[in-house]
Amino acid sequence: MHRAAEPPAPREGRRRCFLGIVLSGLLLSAWLAAGSPGMAAQERRYTVAFANLTEEPGATLEGTGFTGREVRESFALAARRYPIDLVFYDNHRDPQKALANVEDAARRKVDLYIQYLDDPATNVKVGQSLRAAGIKVLAINTPVPDAPLYTLDNRAAGRIAGEALSEYAARSWRGQPAIGIVIGNLRAGEYRIPDRAQGASEGLKRHLPALKITSLDTQGNPAQVGPLLGKVLTASPATKILVAAMDDASALAAKSTLESAGRLPDGAIVGQGVDRSVHGGMNDRKEIDPSNRGSIVIGSVAFYLDRYGYEVLPIAARMLSGETVAPRTVTPHRLITAANVFIEYPPYDMN
Amino acid sequence: MRRKSLFVVIAVLASLIASAPAVLAQTDCKTVVPPSPWGPNDQTGATNRVTPAVTKAAAAEIQEGKVIVMAYPLTDGIPLFGTRFTKTILTATTLAPGAALGENQLTYMEDTWLSQSHVGTHLDGLGHIGRKDCYFNQTAMGKFITQNNMTKLGLEHLKSFATRGVLVDMVKVYQAAGKLKTNPACKKPCIDKGTVITSADIQAGLKMYNVTLREGDIVIIHTGWGNLFEQYPGQNALYNSGEPGIGKDAAKWLVSQKIVAVGADTWGVEVIPGEDPKEAFIVHNMIITDAGIHIMENVRTDLMADEAEKTKRATFFFSMTVPKAVGLTGNFVSIEGIR
Repeated sequence: MHRAAEPPAPREGRRRCFLGIVLSGLLLSAWLAAGSPGMAAQERRYTVAFANLTEEPGATLEGTGFTGREVRESFALAARRYPIDLVFYDNHRDPQKALANVEDAARRKVDLYIQYLDDPATNVKVGQSLRAAGIKVLAINTPVPDAPLYTLDNRAAGRIAGEALSEYAARSWRGQPAIGIVIGNLRAGEYRIPDRAQGASEGLKRHLPALKITSLDTQGNPAQVGPLLGKVLTASPATKILVAAMDDASALAAKSTLESAGRLPDGAIVGQGVDRSVHGGMNDRKEIDPSNRGSIVIGSVAFYLDRYGYEVLPIAARMLSGETVAPRTVTPHRLITAANVFIEYPPYDMN
Repeated sequence: MRRKSLFVVIAVLASLIASAPAVLAQTDCKTVVPPSPWGPNDQTGATNRVTPAVTKAAAAEIQEGKVIVMAYPLTDGIPLFGTRFTKTILTATTLAPGAALGENQLTYMEDTWLSQSHVGTHLDGLGHIGRKDCYFNQTAMGKFITQNNMTKLGLEHLKSFATRGVLVDMVKVYQAAGKLKTNPACKKPCIDKGTVITSADIQAGLKMYNVTLREGDIVIIHTGWGNLFEQYPGQNALYNSGEPGIGKDAAKWLVSQKIVAVGADTWGVEVIPGEDPKEAFIVHNMIITDAGIHIMENVRTDLMADEAEKTKRATFFFSMTVPKAVGLTGNFVSIEGIR
């Protein structure tokens, strides 16, 4: 008689059932402790807060044409690559709001806080609060004490523009009388435009050391480019004009002024920013476009605010994984022209 | 004088010869694109995988004879890429009074179709996407284009698409994972633009219907984004502004599965904006240029997704014929899924 062929006696069956449950429980506990294959495959996810400078509609950042919305979108898109859940804050360029955002992030126990506020004094307090809460900090453009900084280099950006212009003049206008114009919101210290202007002047002199440079301050109003530049054009007939514009709107306005004065052949312009007002899709026909290679707007220096997420989140990810990061990482500014705009900014939408 | 003329001719010829390498400079495509697994003369690509055995096995999917439409109507107002257009002109001259022919009063009509080929539900051929001047199978395309068409890699070289289709319902996958972020403009649940579909997502979708991919399959991804196409022209701008789609990891995995084609209810199949803002349609390069696998865009997937949900079966016989249009880079197609 084979006992296995018969149903077990009720008592024996209960004992086997109990042992089975205990054994299964032990196995399940061991499996969970070791981490199931699925769990092992799952990366740890981090919560990262990004407090944007301002997302006020129409407000532009850093003396360029970029908006806070573009900066925010770049973070949302870049985060797709990382095991990061983003919490977005808007600092509204307001110290009180910035401090309230930090309080909220501390309550949420975020793993890292990215602060973008152009107020050094408030950033000191922000740093203190976050350190007290044990939250890592990364700053954009304006330092937070003891935190890594990702920042523009306005002087370098200006220099790139100036050098491109002086090289163009040295190559194309050899020996002809020329003047340099630095134009834009020149006294806007909060955007570090004086640094940008200084870099532009240095660059203009790179290939034309004797070049006379005139500064024209629009006080942030591109509509002033016409009258200011117009006077210079009138006073300088038969002279080549190299225009280092401090933003793209001023660059476009400068082109328009030269065109109105019938002086397009006398001009060369470089802007700053490379926002969507100067480049676009396959069929946008914006100023910097592969099909517009003859424009007197030679190009514009990229500030990449629309790629901040792609630049900053890799630093954040390294900080979260315990790596030491450089105390200062600088935007890799470069000149964007008709020849490289679709390489640097490949158009992707169908519209 | 004669000697002087000779000298001028020699000088001109010498300068032409000297400049020839620059004029004819081409990329060494062997360093840019991998060779085809079907040999150096291959112009067929992944449809080489559609063997009689593959088609016969796919025929087993036809169980009820039910035909499900998987293409959108091609008509004015549908979303089109950039400046693409599609327009028809009807010739109906014999309908004019007294213009009928013969005692039997025969009349006739026909169409002139002025259209770009990559419009509506369409197939991307092997000559559609390259890297520099290098196309599928290390083809230095600069040598093979005329004003009218390509002399290599045209649609005429493709074999049959009579194989098994596999629907992957990403909407269901994302719903099940609790991560569906739909777009409010979609009238049915959809995955929002910019969402990267990963290889894990695709495998989860296959598992949902207990499907294992076979060599020679065609994968159709339902994202729900096609609902915006159906609302044409009202949502064209939104539909065109981006899309959910496969990322690089998913593309790599699909290539490893030796499929014939991948399609979706989106205009580009791959995620837009892409994962790296400095890359342009990189998944197209990975799938078409490097692997000879076709991409099908603007595929109508909702009806098959509904059918799969009802029947718990996501496979079907894939029915699509591509015109033997010599030298074309792609063409609009009609697709039916037969069950």
